[in-house]
Amino acid sequence: MWSTAREISPGDTVVIWMTRDIIQPIVVTPGKDINNRFGYYKHSDLIGIPYGSKVGSRNGKGFVHVLRPTPELWTMALPHRTQILYLADIAFITSYLNIKRGSKVIEAGTGSGSFSHSVARTVGTSGHLWTYEFHEARANKAGEEFAQHGLNETVTLTHRNVCKDGFTIVDKADAVFLDLPAPWDAVEHARRALRKDKVTRICCFSPCIEQVLRTVSALNETGFVEITMYETLQRPHEVSQISLLPSVKEAAGKLKQSEQRREEKRLRQIAQNKAKFPAAGPGGSKRKRDEHVLVDEEDCLYSELAPQGGESSVVIDDNASACGSTKKLKTTDIASEDDKAMSALDDGVEYPGDLSHHISSCSATAGKMSVSKVITEVRGHTSYLTFASLLPIPTGAVIKEEPGVNIREEST
Amino acid sequence: MITDAEKSLAIEAGNNILVRLPNAGIRSININGNSTVSLGRFGSFHGKELVGQPYGLTYEIVDKQLKVLPPHTVEEVEDTDATNEYINDGEFVQPLTLEEIQTLKQAGVHASDIIKKQIELHANYALKTEYSKEKYKKRKVAKYSKLFTTIEPTLYNVCNYWFEKDQNRIRQIRVDTLSQMLNLANIRPGGRYIAVDDASGLVVAAILDRLGGDGRLLTIGDTDSPPAYPVMVHMNFKPAEVKRVLATLNWATADPDHDPLIPPSELPSSEIRSERQKSRLGKRKSINDALHATRQELFSGEFDALIVASEYEPYSVLEALFPFIAGSASIVVHSPHMQILADLQNKLRGLPQYLFPNIVEGWLRQYQVLPGRTHPMMATSGSGGYVLHTVKVFDDPEAMPVMSHRHKVWKKTPVASEQVSEGSQAATRDPSLSEAELDGGGDVLMSTS
Repeated sequence: MWSTAREISPGDTVVIWMTRDIIQPIVVTPGKDINNRFGYYKHSDLIGIPYGSKVGSRNGKGFVHVLRPTPELWTMALPHRTQILYLADIAFITSYLNIKRGSKVIEAGTGSGSFSHSVARTVGTSGHLWTYEFHEARANKAGEEFAQHGLNETVTLTHRNVCKDGFTIVDKADAVFLDLPAPWDAVEHARRALRKDKVTRICCFSPCIEQVLRTVSALNETGFVEITMYETLQRPHEVSQISLLPSVKEAAGKLKQSEQRREEKRLRQIAQNKAKFPAAGPGGSKRKRDEHVLVDEEDCLYSELAPQGGESSVVIDDNASACGSTKKLKTTDIASEDDKAMSALDDGVEYPGDLSHHISSCSATAGKMSVSKVITEVRGHTSYLTFASLLPIPTGAVIKEEPGVNIREEST
Repeated sequence: MITDAEKSLAIEAGNNILVRLPNAGIRSININGNSTVSLGRFGSFHGKELVGQPYGLTYEIVDKQLKVLPPHTVEEVEDTDATNEYINDGEFVQPLTLEEIQTLKQAGVHASDIIKKQIELHANYALKTEYSKEKYKKRKVAKYSKLFTTIEPTLYNVCNYWFEKDQNRIRQIRVDTLSQMLNLANIRPGGRYIAVDDASGLVVAAILDRLGGDGRLLTIGDTDSPPAYPVMVHMNFKPAEVKRVLATLNWATADPDHDPLIPPSELPSSEIRSERQKSRLGKRKSINDALHATRQELFSGEFDALIVASEYEPYSVLEALFPFIAGSASIVVHSPHMQILADLQNKLRGLPQYLFPNIVEGWLRQYQVLPGRTHPMMATSGSGGYVLHTVKVFDDPEAMPVMSHRHKVWKKTPVASEQVSEGSQAATRDPSLSEAELDGGGDVLMSTS
């Protein structure tokens, strides 16, 4: 398949990793170069360096990593000619179909070759992949890639419509994978291609449930058993390091302080009012005093009601100030976190979080902790994976009608 | 290397095979010469009857003899107007008593006849919908028939068996997750791998299965003697699939700075007093030589991947074994706990020799696809654990990121940790230098936020 040498040689397919989303496979060709916003590189610069090297741009700005291709990287990097299969599906199908060293596998259609590369890697040179593509241009392109990746020994590519014309092998395959718009038309052909001396398996890959139902009927009628269906996905998690969360006790402390301040302010105002109108006339003065008494009483009433959830201005006030203080708290937090991150940047210091001691203690070192969540937008559906098995025909065995199936009641 | 011809298609004496019982339970049985295999209430039979049989067939036990049943295909269920409108709970519907059924069973009446009788006597059977009748029959078959199906010991089936049986012993590695680990680690025939497997040997068994006798697997354990990998028992590996492929060291012998205390295996001939002592020394020598060779092999490095499913602190594992894997080699770490990998990822992304450490969790859902009754299974597994994947790279401290001149911009517009730009996990959170380094240009991701 791809080079297994330690160092890169001319003619090797290598994967240029710029970012997670920008991965480019190239064939190392002296004389060619790479020039993009990640820098300027000559292919000849790569020759003789070990796989996995970081290579700095010739203009001093930017770098790339040069990786050894794997089917998984190829899946991330390959030119899409069709909707492709991704790791979660490929991996699960490989296990379910029991694909391993030496397996003989059928795939239709080839598409962009994402699954083909993975299977070719897993079966190795003692196994084989027969892959079929009905779209001529896609077939040719895939053929070129297989040749370029040294897969001619392992992969046989045929341009053909398998639903009409079937497969090119009989009683030979260990597993069949159908990624076709109408897999039910190929199920009988698949049965012919599968060997009959052991359990063999089929997987039909269809995005729509209606396709699944038709496929299930076809599999059932063709004699496949243990029909089941799966969906599998990957949930990518994102890790962040955040400050330890503040306790509500802190919030309570601040609230209590502001409560105290408010009370002091109120008392101050009363005192000021008293000082302002000490020598008012008897009539007016009396009226004013009564009002003050009333306000005081109301205040008392409120403070009694508040804890029981009474709707009072005091409670509303509290809420407002609580919001205010939390906001303030958050802003300072972010700011201090950024400051720390920046100073770490400037000093070239490693971001904190010493993991050398025991796990349980490390997540909380230096007032920080690692938290994770599933990233907000994830792939929600790829296809339904319909699996079934074809059982071997036992030689010289006593075959008996199964009682469980055979129950026919007369009284209905 | 083993050839196809050597790979057994049939059950052999001495195999540990898995069988599925009518109640859908899976049991492991040992096929051993002349012994009788007991399946509890589902009957018992002579084990040797299975020898030479292909996997996957269903048998009925009749007087300890096995009869092969034809493959069970699903039948369409006719839709009728029946509903459960007139069926109430707690009604007396079955006059056939448990004792009477017991008597029938003892008299040797076939399960299908017992079920037929139950249906005949059932007061409300005719009221049931066709689907409900199907379910009823299935339940009775599971209860009374003496059937079982042999299960091929594929990696998929063995992993499922262990996951159902005791997922803690395999560190909660579900088969979809295991499959992703194998692909991410680029396991291929002829490859050379290091594994740390505290998951009862599930990971070791998986790698050995994929290698098929061609390649090398070094495992590092925490025991003096080679670790017991109980999962391997169910894979029924041929010696050729294991012997030249698998070798084991422990955390002491895998330490290049450590000089293992080895008892002497060579004595001057004058001191050898007996043949027994001579042969003992010979054995000791071959053990010592093997240990020495395995250590040399590890220390010369260039392994294609490191796969870890360990109860030890994962960074300590990576630190110890990182020198021995090749540039561009994959590192795959599984843990049933997100927190452990979150801490690991946080650590790794500050280190330039680990490219784009990222964490995924597998998600798996099975559906019942009976005609007219397609729906997801009611019971499902919550998690198969988490997988961290990264790639070993060689740092070049001289190489400058494209965006290094943009640090000031970052200071002005700090990104809160909650904001995430699309399509990137690790690169978005912290606008730290290490991130930029890991991602080369990096600025595509960052300039969007």
